[in-house]
Amino acid sequence: MMERPMQPSRFPVLDLVNPREQTLALVVMLVIGLALAAVQMIWAGWPLWAATVMVLCLLLIPAVLKWRTDARRYGVVVMVLSVLLAAQGFHTLEHLAQWVEYHILNWPASQSAGFVSPANSEWIHFVWNWTVVLVMVYLIAKGFRNPFVWLLLTWSVAHSLEHTYLMARYVQMLQELRNLGVQSVSAQGLPGILGADGWLARSAFTQGTLFCNLPGLTTAPRLDVHFWWNAGEMTLLLIAAHTFLRQRLARRSI
Amino acid sequence: MAHTLDHTTTVHGDVVHLFESNGAGVAVNDLDGDGRLDIVLADLNGPSTILWNEGDFHFRKETLDESNTRAVNIVDVDGDGRLDIVFTHRTSGVSYWHNEGGPPGAGSQFARRTLPNVLAPAYVMAWGDLWGKGDLDLVTGSYDAELSQVQANAFLFSNNGGVYVYHHDGDAFLPQRLTDHAQALAIALTDLKGDGHPDIIIGNDFEEPDAMWRRAGDTWQSIAPFRETTESTMSFDWGDIDNSGQTALFAADMKAYEIDVRALAAWLPMMADMHPHLPKSDPQIMENVLHLPDGSGGFKDEAQRRGVDATGWSWSSQFGDLDNDGYLDLYVVNGMIAKELFGYLPNNELVEANQAFRNNGAGRFVPAPSWGLGSTASGRGMVMADLNNDGQLDIVVNNLQSPAQLFENRLCGGGSVEVDLAWPDSHNTRAVGAKVTLHTSAGDLTRDVRSASGYLSGPPSRLHFGFPADAKLQGLDIRWSDGAVSSVAPVTSQTRLTVTR
Repeated sequence: MMERPMQPSRFPVLDLVNPREQTLALVVMLVIGLALAAVQMIWAGWPLWAATVMVLCLLLIPAVLKWRTDARRYGVVVMVLSVLLAAQGFHTLEHLAQWVEYHILNWPASQSAGFVSPANSEWIHFVWNWTVVLVMVYLIAKGFRNPFVWLLLTWSVAHSLEHTYLMARYVQMLQELRNLGVQSVSAQGLPGILGADGWLARSAFTQGTLFCNLPGLTTAPRLDVHFWWNAGEMTLLLIAAHTFLRQRLARRSI
Repeated sequence: MAHTLDHTTTVHGDVVHLFESNGAGVAVNDLDGDGRLDIVLADLNGPSTILWNEGDFHFRKETLDESNTRAVNIVDVDGDGRLDIVFTHRTSGVSYWHNEGGPPGAGSQFARRTLPNVLAPAYVMAWGDLWGKGDLDLVTGSYDAELSQVQANAFLFSNNGGVYVYHHDGDAFLPQRLTDHAQALAIALTDLKGDGHPDIIIGNDFEEPDAMWRRAGDTWQSIAPFRETTESTMSFDWGDIDNSGQTALFAADMKAYEIDVRALAAWLPMMADMHPHLPKSDPQIMENVLHLPDGSGGFKDEAQRRGVDATGWSWSSQFGDLDNDGYLDLYVVNGMIAKELFGYLPNNELVEANQAFRNNGAGRFVPAPSWGLGSTASGRGMVMADLNNDGQLDIVVNNLQSPAQLFENRLCGGGSVEVDLAWPDSHNTRAVGAKVTLHTSAGDLTRDVRSASGYLSGPPSRLHFGFPADAKLQGLDIRWSDGAVSSVAPVTSQTRLTVTR
């Protein structure tokens, strides 16, 4: 596959995520998707998460075409980075939506569920975060390396460990509920390691130490904890990608 | 060490339903004037019980022909010097048992009387000298959820629920209605502002916000000084937890005290059904709240920082210096039985261990499982009192569907002084509302005389001060409910004083 050098730019990340020739298709799919989503929600009673998934599926068509072009132009590694930026960007937007619903719109925490989180969020987050780690490992193996990448990897692994803890408790909780003969209750949304009522705040190991009393880390609601996990991850990803792409451009221009 | 008492609060059928699940209270005071504190236990189904204290944890049982009782207070209603018994009921107002006296050593006789004009349905009550005139006024609050369940339309059209203040003027009680609706499970009459006048605080169940009033002349103004409040307020207690002279108010709520999956699984289906949908801006949170002055005229919640935000499905909560180290400890009884809520659990019961916390004197309450207070009976009313006159606070718990318990204090720490106040020339003969400060080399310890605290319960008018064994006692200051001040010195450790005004 022929790699074509990226054009010199102050913000190569923006150039990479730019849909370019797929812009029109993206807009058209978005409009069609929103219209269909509205119809399905109003007349067919679809939940918001299902309508959102449908819109995302439609957007995936121009996105895949765009990524195919990225692969042809810049190679597979940059294409994978482009996919990661888009996907993690949407994931962060989902958490931003929850944050806005809770903090700006003052919705109850139980209703501040963003666009797709009413679906099985424990499985989705567990799989998604470990996928990010695996993609990171692949990219690192292919040369995506700078100090911010290592920070990002550390952050992503820590984030994934938190979701592993949540996932383990979710599965255990489902089993306990089954033992009680309860089938209809969702076990999602339990506190994790960080945040209010989390392991750090409530574990017998931390009681009486300063670790059970760290503002934010032991007091923030789960919604905030995961907003900041993802905001941090996205920020580090942008910086790491920017640094990587700038290095790559510099090498090409020598 | 746990003793079983000869009383079991039961419900009307084989199965516990809402709101019989809320159980009943207990009160302790010296009914017959023999120096030993007696126990009165309310009951939903059978008669209420008086346990006459015969010393060394021996009690003689007598029943009162009074059932369907909820809260119980022991106060001298008519100012004749003898302590009377007052109950609230599941679906009616208060009942008043006048102490007729009796032969020495045989306990007192009680006769049922009425309180003129005290007619509104009452779930909670508290007595206090609200106008600072040496009278004993009454505040009651209704629990409208149960009234609606039992009386249905009769309650809806009666328009007599809510919170009432009854100004005790001579032989009359003059009612004043503060609000026409309440879900009151808790009540506190305490001076949070420190201006010498008691405030009225009503703790409401469900999503009904707690309510608070402060006296302005002859009227009561609604105020809202708290940034956060409990959502389902189960009980209040208050005290000077850091010996700073400032009052902290503890409000108990429902929140699992363990984070292991098995414990949480017992809560989750119930929470899924009843979890509230309050907006973030709502001040109500579903966990215990410890209100402390924030230094700028308001209050801040310190429950989590001090380690007492979660005590299970909490009912009565009480501060008391259980280890006689000069700092108020905290005990909370808990558990729930209700087919409607916990039908998926064996016997429809959420089984939890009562939670005891030692105040470490450095700002935190540390779990104290070694004290042996972790009973898993379903506790409701609870009072701390020195029942064997050894200078240590014992604990009486009125459980639901299992025998009441008495926890004998064998911690054997520190020294103590106990104080009875007498104000014989007033209608407030036990000086309810008086604040007493014991000055010691280990700090100033402040306690107050109250008729009601915790959940549906009445603590004794006898005040208990614990302190380190090597502390030097410097004297007592008493601020009576009318603002008068008395001083007593010297004071000797391991004594019980009666201060008569």
